[in-house]
Amino acid sequence: MEGVLVVAEHREGRLSPATFELIALGRALAVRTDGLRVAVLGSGVERIASHVAEHAEVVLVQDPLLREYTPGGYAQALAVVRRSVDPKVVLLPHSSQGFDLAPALAAEWESPIVTNVVGLSIEGDQALAYRKILNDKLVAEVELSSEKPFIITVRPGGKASDPLPSPAPITNASVSIDASKLGARFVRYEKPQVQDIDIASADIVVSAGRGIKEKKNLALVEAFAKALGGVVGASRPLTDMEWLPKTRQVGQSGKTVRPKLYVACGISGAMQHVSGMKDAGTIIAINTDPTAPIFEVAHYGFTANVLELLPAVVKELKGA
Amino acid sequence: MVLNIVVCMKQVPNPDLQFQINPEGTDIRRDALNYRTNGADEYALEEAVRLKEKHGGRVTVITAGPKRTEPMLREALAKGADEAVRVAVDDPAPYDAMKVARILAAAVKTIPHDLVLTGVQSDDHINSLTGGLLAATLGRPHASVVTKVDLSGTTVTASRELEGGDIQVVQLDTPAVLTIQFGTNTPRYAPLPAIMKASRQPIRELGPAALGAATWEDFATGYAFRVHRLSPPEAKGHAEMFTGPVAEQAKRLARLLREKGFYRG
Repeated sequence: MEGVLVVAEHREGRLSPATFELIALGRALAVRTDGLRVAVLGSGVERIASHVAEHAEVVLVQDPLLREYTPGGYAQALAVVRRSVDPKVVLLPHSSQGFDLAPALAAEWESPIVTNVVGLSIEGDQALAYRKILNDKLVAEVELSSEKPFIITVRPGGKASDPLPSPAPITNASVSIDASKLGARFVRYEKPQVQDIDIASADIVVSAGRGIKEKKNLALVEAFAKALGGVVGASRPLTDMEWLPKTRQVGQSGKTVRPKLYVACGISGAMQHVSGMKDAGTIIAINTDPTAPIFEVAHYGFTANVLELLPAVVKELKGA
Repeated sequence: MVLNIVVCMKQVPNPDLQFQINPEGTDIRRDALNYRTNGADEYALEEAVRLKEKHGGRVTVITAGPKRTEPMLREALAKGADEAVRVAVDDPAPYDAMKVARILAAAVKTIPHDLVLTGVQSDDHINSLTGGLLAATLGRPHASVVTKVDLSGTTVTASRELEGGDIQVVQLDTPAVLTIQFGTNTPRYAPLPAIMKASRQPIRELGPAALGAATWEDFATGYAFRVHRLSPPEAKGHAEMFTGPVAEQAKRLARLLREKGFYRG
């Protein structure tokens, strides 16, 4: 036994793409262990299970109380899966749901846990996890050893799995979820409805970050965006301060954009932001700190004060 | 009923700085580091103080850290916390979140609590882990990435932020643990008289003995955990860099935008 268990993430009938990233990582790890299985937990999720089975073997657990994610419901279902699968490592996405569930699981299983990892290797009872710390400026290699299964959340954005030549089997596991042990109970979803331009459909997005220092300096970013015929986006801190509406936020908790040109103005490049813009055609970053992680995803980097560079470049463009 | 809220806060090295790795390769060099309050914890504190202002009650701030964390605790007192507790863990770089959570849980158990709030993540390690582990260790229900908290009797209604900006509304029974997201509120500034007052307020210190242990090692987990090595990230793709005077960079950027067809003026 001792295989790799991936916990599929889905919401409102849609699988999270992170699930296939976990399957890709799980396959690599499974080479040295006893195979890879994906737990699909839910109610009326046969279609999702079949989709996952195109990539890996599925353990399907269904119960009306699993219709929506709850930490307690998922933990109860995974306890059942654990008995049949006996995993050495459990992989979850480092997402709002993944890092909600993972610590509960680790505490219950008395398991070692490492979150937000960008790389992982397992050798017997030892795991070596790679994670980025301090604004992604350093990589920490964390070494764990335990006889218990390792609980790992994986930073989204990795390579997704390719489908198998033919679908893998789906095994049903039965469970009876105790309604009094769901933890936080699901009430409803809310989807913010705000009228604004859709930055995700723009060819050119010029985004501002904390480096612009003051709200009034947004005018410099707007002038530059206007010169290029683009729209203004923002990193999270700016929409948190309400300098721009939430609809302009680029990143994990905002919008994912793939414009032809993305200009990051005074944005350090935290994972939360980068995951929302890394696939842009051309990325230009302007930041005074040459070690800022934004320069790792950018194609062109300008190490200047954005407040000086933007007016100067607008002048250059218009003057010629 | 008096509403008792505990806020767990952390002091972190300012992540905007540049860092050097120590000679052993296991931590950053911590001499002359600039520390600040963890960003998300500021929102947790503000949310706690607002709940107190609305429902009445008492806010206790707690941290596990060395003496240098005291100014952070005093600032929290000045912003509306009623009591400050320092769990005297002197490890400057506690990487093992499970051990920290176990220590914090033991300390929180000694304080009346209907709600325990903390930040969704710490700016240095970005684990998003301590709050969840703390809840599980305390045996309390937990909701993470919370952007809105409503309290009615013993029921907490919390809005959790999901990917893409959608919200999931959940309900929990108190006592409950919530991790608060950035931007949930607008943290206040401490008024000067409150700062003066906070500077004279005592900070309660808890050592291992107060939590029924001989040393902090008693809270170690059942598995081995160690930071094997810190290293700079592998320079995967890296931008083609432009440096030099701003005027020169502006010319280069303008030329680049024209060559790539992004400016058609």
